[in-house]
Amino acid sequence: MTEQEQQQLFNQWLHQYKALFFKVIRAYAFTAMDRDDLFQEITLQAWRSIPSFQQKSSVSTWLYRISFNTAITWSHKARKHRNTDEMIENIEQVLVEKEVASPDDERLNWLYKEISYLDEVDRSITLLLLEGSSYKEIAVILGISESNVGVKVHRIKKALTLKSKKIETYGI
Amino acid sequence: MEFEELQKIWIAGNQEPVYAINEKALHNRILSKRKSILHIANVSELLSIVINLCVGIFIGINFYQGKGVFFFYLLAAWMILTSAYVLYHRYRRLRTQPKFDRSLREDLQHAVATATYQVRLSQIMRLNIVPIALLSFLGILERGRSVWFAVGILVFYALTYMLGGWEHNIYRNKKRELELLQAKLEKE
Repeated sequence: MTEQEQQQLFNQWLHQYKALFFKVIRAYAFTAMDRDDLFQEITLQAWRSIPSFQQKSSVSTWLYRISFNTAITWSHKARKHRNTDEMIENIEQVLVEKEVASPDDERLNWLYKEISYLDEVDRSITLLLLEGSSYKEIAVILGISESNVGVKVHRIKKALTLKSKKIETYGI
Repeated sequence: MEFEELQKIWIAGNQEPVYAINEKALHNRILSKRKSILHIANVSELLSIVINLCVGIFIGINFYQGKGVFFFYLLAAWMILTSAYVLYHRYRRLRTQPKFDRSLREDLQHAVATATYQVRLSQIMRLNIVPIALLSFLGILERGRSVWFAVGILVFYALTYMLGGWEHNIYRNKKRELELLQAKLEKE
């Protein structure tokens, strides 16, 4: 694969699957600078991995896999080790926040906030679950058994529905 | 709310992308980050290889041309062997370059293996200071230099040993964090 073909495919996937990337970065990074940094990390990994894509799974499953692996490793990097000088120098932001008005915004924000309280592994399971992925797909992406996924999913669902009942009581 | 309802909120709310991508800036960042990743991965190994090799050759030639000092010959040989050892392990590491079509568990296993390699290498390099310090000390004494000069060299190596411990702890903590994450993933 030539670099030009790689770039072309990358641009195509970036447009097609940008929502997937955005959901992952919103669940793992909580400031504009961190979101920008994580987005760059994920897209860099995706770009680097294009030549090794063997079409064993769908593009979206494969991109989820790269995104979660990168996001989890990224969130474990100590903040002090990030190159802050490089960030300051890089004034030009890669991600620009858009004004999106949706009646579900408040509830969606609440949902993202609750997801952020989960540990890194449970966060990825929750995102996949909300996307409608099956236990089998989640198990393949994470590399754990379906029964293990089942146990984790049960716990996550229970915790989220319990919390949602609380906010219904106090109103959102 | 039941989980299905949360799912509806999720799907409805994520219809419209919340960010716009500055593609030109992204492309530039990818190119510069790509360079820095290669740099970080290589720099500590290459430094060990080059420094040990150059110093080993320098000491060997210097004392071969002048007054032969047994311990310095031994030191030169030791440093060249150290360089060869790091080179061999670097070759082995590069043969297992990261693959991208992996599950999170496999990715973590690879990260833990890399961290284990870094912990082991930093520990070996740290312990390697002991024979180098000893051979330098004995070589200096054999050459007839003052004891104080030899002691000064030992103090220098002691400081290097301490700094090596600091570096080793960074790698060890990183490995521990990864293992913790691995345990979280596998926990039922």
